[in-house]
Amino acid sequence: MTLPPRPLRIATACLLALAIAGLIALVLWSILAAATDAAVTSRIDIPHLLRMTSIQAGLTTVLSLLVGTALAWSLNRLRFPGRDLLVAFFASAIVTPGMVVAFGLLAIWGRNGWINRAAEAVLGFPLGNPAYGLGGILFAHVILDGAFAARIILARLDAIPAARLKTGQSLALSAWQRFTLIDWPALRGTLPGLGAIIFLLAFTSFPIVLLLGGGPANQTLEVAIYAAVRQDFDLAGAVRLALTQVAVCSVVILAASALAPVPTAFGPSPATTWRDELASRLLQWLVLAIATLCFGLPLLSVLMDGLGAGLGSLLAQPSFWWSLLTSLLIGSASALLTLLLALALALGRGATGSPPLRTLLGIPAYAYLAVPAVVLSLGFFLLVRDLGLAPAAAAPAVVIPRSHCPHPRQAHPLAWAGRLAAVLPRGTAADRQGSGRHARPRFLLFAGGSGRHRPIWHPGFPNPAAADVPLARRLSQQ
Amino acid sequence: MLRVDELCFAYPGTAEPYRFSLAAAPSEITAVSGASGSGKSTLLDLLAGFLTPTSGSITLDGQQLVPLPPEQRPVSLLLQSESLFEHLSAGRNIALGLPARTPKASVQQQVEAALAEVGLSGIGAQPAATLSGGQKQRVALARTLLRARPVLLLDEPFSALDDQTRAVIRDLVKTLTIRHGWHTILVSHHNDDILALASRRYHLADRKLVAD
Repeated sequence: MTLPPRPLRIATACLLALAIAGLIALVLWSILAAATDAAVTSRIDIPHLLRMTSIQAGLTTVLSLLVGTALAWSLNRLRFPGRDLLVAFFASAIVTPGMVVAFGLLAIWGRNGWINRAAEAVLGFPLGNPAYGLGGILFAHVILDGAFAARIILARLDAIPAARLKTGQSLALSAWQRFTLIDWPALRGTLPGLGAIIFLLAFTSFPIVLLLGGGPANQTLEVAIYAAVRQDFDLAGAVRLALTQVAVCSVVILAASALAPVPTAFGPSPATTWRDELASRLLQWLVLAIATLCFGLPLLSVLMDGLGAGLGSLLAQPSFWWSLLTSLLIGSASALLTLLLALALALGRGATGSPPLRTLLGIPAYAYLAVPAVVLSLGFFLLVRDLGLAPAAAAPAVVIPRSHCPHPRQAHPLAWAGRLAAVLPRGTAADRQGSGRHARPRFLLFAGGSGRHRPIWHPGFPNPAAADVPLARRLSQQ
Repeated sequence: MLRVDELCFAYPGTAEPYRFSLAAAPSEITAVSGASGSGKSTLLDLLAGFLTPTSGSITLDGQQLVPLPPEQRPVSLLLQSESLFEHLSAGRNIALGLPARTPKASVQQQVEAALAEVGLSGIGAQPAATLSGGQKQRVALARTLLRARPVLLLDEPFSALDDQTRAVIRDLVKTLTIRHGWHTILVSHHNDDILALASRRYHLADRKLVAD
């Protein structure tokens, strides 16, 4: 396979970026037009919603970063059979739908959940229902986002150079010194950007808040938009909420992009014999056990419920198979389209030598962050309504907004695109020079075309690509 | 005397083990040369305790070192890079060589003395990140002085330095080794370093250490 010529790569990327920008502009225009047209005054208390959403997202961010750091710290330090499996298990948070965790939490902590049934059997009275309200929302978010944070932080810890660890170990640093002198400098650049992404995820959270919110008191903007459109048909209110959400998300994104971006490079874990002192190791085991229980039990309960008596009748329902097929089709189409777009954008970014153009071609990465799914859906709903399109037009419309730019939790695909873009210029330098001094070594080493593509660029492909397909699919199923 | 006797080590999945035997006297620099990948760093990792040998012994004046974890070995390390924590000042880096409960006044005094010995008086407050390559290696040597361990392991410590700085640091290593009676083991693939410093020379080839 030979890559297309450089001008074609740049032109394709420019066209794609323009198409994405146009699509978003259209969506925003339809929302703004609806806002202008809407004469009805809405009773939605936006300041209250904004305050509650911000408090919830802020607490989620702080707790997720703390939990993620503790979990990553434990996983980085401990070596035991099955460790890689456990790391993969926590990494699966990225592809675990929020709804599954919410149902799992209800099965464990709900009124008739495992804990309350056990408490009634042992103590004679239930322990209450902590799965609902702010506590439940935070718990569910921290399970998902804490595990997500742990994956990113663990990657940073595993990428600490072996020489630095050797120096620290030979100096007999304590566990605390090791964290503050070696780990923290490696992490501190990551946390602001990671925190901003978690904040956005929590700020735009939908299924968890819908299921565990326990009423309007804990509603977020995203759920309020849904309620305004679906339940109250308060279009004016929904539009105001959507614009508020876009404004807040844009501010957070600007702050996040000013801070360090989330690194996605996963370095190899250096073989280390450096074990912390016993007290620290006990603490690490405790963190790991609690995290495994908190993350594993909800999944286990859902699995047990799913495999229970109702499984047979569920499998017998045609609507189940249709839903499954629809989900798979939309998810797979979105995943494929996401990867293709990311790759095309990255190749275009890598091919251009112009810094402003590179910046412009990078902007689509932030589009989905600024315009969350529910806002896109509202915009498309208004567009479809205004254009008088048939309902059959809805399916491609669902695929388009979901794939045109990846989701914040999985900033991965575009981060991956960025990663590609960072590597590509090495190849294109030779392209630009033609018969220059790079051309012959390139020819000798890599033979050009796909031969060059594989050894220089390909090493970055397999793992991210393999990870991005389920990620994009998972996002598309939110 | 530091003695390595029939020390064997094999990485998982490799059939043929490395075999190391050497002797290093105090106040002397023992050099180990060899091509890249020949096992020089493996030898240092075994001496420092980062790797566990399958058989053989390492003794210092008769004391068996193999059972000791890296943090308890009488060993200081100076690597090509990552010897300092760049976000700390030079003084705080050096102070890491002292026991944790050393009184503050004593820390200050010892750090200043160590800096003076390596020719860097007055830079204690300077962030390590702002130091030149040569200064960083000197600061790392100053920390080694405070650690007062009898064995100094040098893993290509001059590779990142320019010729002039390289000569200065080489002289400093030699001076300190003699002055403090260290058993210094230098791993390098630069012949000029080895010729300038080494009293004893070994060469690694075919996974075996042989005296030159």
